[in-house]
Amino acid sequence: MRNTWLIMKREYLARVRTRGFILFTVLMPAFMAAVVLLPGKLMMRSTGPKHIVIVSSNAAVADVLKHELETAPAKLQEKDEEEPGGRNQELDRIEATIEPNVTESTDKDLAAQVESGKVDGYLWLSDKAIESRKVAFTAKNSGDFMLAAVIRSALRAAFTQSELAKKGIGPGEASRILAPVSVESVTLKQGKKSKGNEFTAIVLPFLLMMMIYVVLIVYGTAVMRAVLEEKTTRVVEVLLSSVSPTQLLTGKLLGVGAAGFTQILIWSASGAILGTPYGMALRSTLHVEVPFGALALFPVFFVFGFLIYSTMYAALGAMVNSDEEAQQLQWPVLMPIIFCTVFSMAVVRDPNSQLAFWLSIFPLTSPLIMFVRTCVEMPPWWQLALCFVLLIAAIWGLLEVCGRIYRIGILMYGKRPTLPEILKWIKYA
Amino acid sequence: MAILELKQVCKSYETHLAVDNLSFAIEQGSVFGLLGPNGAGKTSSIRMMIGITVPDTGEVDMFGAPFHRGMLQMVGYLPEERGLYKKMKVLEMLVFLAQLKGLDSTTATKRATEWMQRLDLGDWLKNKIEELSKGMQQKVQFIAAVLHDPEFLILDEPFSGLDPSSSLALKDALLELKKQGKTILFSTHRMDTVERLCDTICLINHGRNVLSGDLKEIKASYGRSAVQLEYEGEMPFLSDRSLVQSYNNFGNYVELKPAPGRDPQELLNIALKTARVMRFEVVEPSLEEIFIDIVDPAKAVNHA
Repeated sequence: MRNTWLIMKREYLARVRTRGFILFTVLMPAFMAAVVLLPGKLMMRSTGPKHIVIVSSNAAVADVLKHELETAPAKLQEKDEEEPGGRNQELDRIEATIEPNVTESTDKDLAAQVESGKVDGYLWLSDKAIESRKVAFTAKNSGDFMLAAVIRSALRAAFTQSELAKKGIGPGEASRILAPVSVESVTLKQGKKSKGNEFTAIVLPFLLMMMIYVVLIVYGTAVMRAVLEEKTTRVVEVLLSSVSPTQLLTGKLLGVGAAGFTQILIWSASGAILGTPYGMALRSTLHVEVPFGALALFPVFFVFGFLIYSTMYAALGAMVNSDEEAQQLQWPVLMPIIFCTVFSMAVVRDPNSQLAFWLSIFPLTSPLIMFVRTCVEMPPWWQLALCFVLLIAAIWGLLEVCGRIYRIGILMYGKRPTLPEILKWIKYA
Repeated sequence: MAILELKQVCKSYETHLAVDNLSFAIEQGSVFGLLGPNGAGKTSSIRMMIGITVPDTGEVDMFGAPFHRGMLQMVGYLPEERGLYKKMKVLEMLVFLAQLKGLDSTTATKRATEWMQRLDLGDWLKNKIEELSKGMQQKVQFIAAVLHDPEFLILDEPFSGLDPSSSLALKDALLELKKQGKTILFSTHRMDTVERLCDTICLINHGRNVLSGDLKEIKASYGRSAVQLEYEGEMPFLSDRSLVQSYNNFGNYVELKPAPGRDPQELLNIALKTARVMRFEVVEPSLEEIFIDIVDPAKAVNHA
């Protein structure tokens, strides 16, 4: 016990004290905060209203278009608030003027004005253009897809209204016909209705799963490298004259795992501080459920996932002699993790499917998939229990098998072992 | 009492037999030399003594009882393949290894500092291992092996890579440990380096014990049968099997063993015909000669 503790302590301190660890731990939340906060801040600095000229001799169409363009940004904003986490960029206000003179000299004149920046752009709505429904928008920066989308929908509305007017339907009636329909998704949870949305249902679980995914690979590889380093520097021989291979392996896994856990705790804490006001706001204003229960399970699934994968990574590190060899042999370990990310979307969409069930109890995929499921919808308790029982059994079995590979592998230098050789190591008690 | 006893120990790896029915005992307070060429099975034997690997058959007794891991706290080990954590500070490394041997950190720090000063490394305690030269690292590794004051010390090629003054410091430290009654096992393929240090030896080749016992007795049993010659010129008669059984030629110095029934004086006469002889002496054979003689009597070693 004492030896395992000493090995773990050394491994933990050696990791936590490095400049890389400190930087990564601090910079990650800073980076996340920047990603969340900066775009909003940057978009805030409005450049004033956009000035767009509508060139058209058809006054009816031009008037509707002007109205649509000038009210579009406000409508978009309303929609945004209904869908938090969607677009949070702000569209500048649009000011439109109508130029009834559809001549070539107007074209030239306006082109010059766009060039000089007096006008942001102009729409060419000749009768022919209206007829063919093909309108040219000339601007310095034609890549603004937000603006393009606004113009497109405004044009469609204007054309439709003028068509309807021809059929004798007035503008009031027309706008009622064209009013947008909104769908509200309501999640039924233990008899309580709450408003769900795309963000909490799909984006959040997926993001968190990706976080487990990255951390598992980062720390699994760290264990592999640590084992490989001890093997190549031959430190292992000195250590084995004091401790047993099992103590060494256990201490190593716990030390690296504790370092990873520390990092996740710091990230989670800073994430909670940054994210809680946002989450609370969503909850109180829009009655959106953030899955706090599932979030609490995050560290649990991390620990299980780490133990499963790092044990395999440790065996891998003991088998090989160099980083290059390790890279080549990594894929059998990586496969199940990558498999998880591929199928996670299907699981999010249908968390009660056969696929989701089996993936969420199979120990190599359950740390990720069961976590995703708990985010979307808490599975029945017996499934959770089954998942944990299988995980514990698998970790025990893997420690036994990988421990044997580790014990022999760390003392084998030179040629990479073949599969039959490894099987012999496992059989050798 | 025997500090360590191997009883008919065998160990085989994938394709070859590394240790073949090896038996020997190391008496308390003695300096024991485990000798043999590269690949003879020295390191494999040592690994089994300290439980890094387990013998296929046979037994290892330590301190008069079957080996168990608890005994390791009384054993110090300097492996042939040196290894320390490169990024760790010297003092931290030493304290860590001593703690694994059961010392508390205060005692470990105190002893490590003393040993470091003794081996001229006093200024390097706070440096990282990777900043030390190879020779210094080796001294640090030696300190790690003796820090917990072990009763039984196993040193695998302790002098390789050390400069003469470091070797001397190490030898002095070892002699002092011997005076304190510690038991030391030396493993090396450089037989000349341990000839003056060891009381008892075991020569192994291909995993087998080919010669073991008290070093003085072994040498005495061979008698004054070896000839040392310093010369200038040619010595064509060396390869004549009817005159010379085996020889070890260094160019202007040769050690040889006359063929059975040949008088050394006769060889001197023949040598004088083709070379100027500066020195001629009949001596006890060196360990290396004895080894060559036993392992491969027909083999001649020509360094020239």
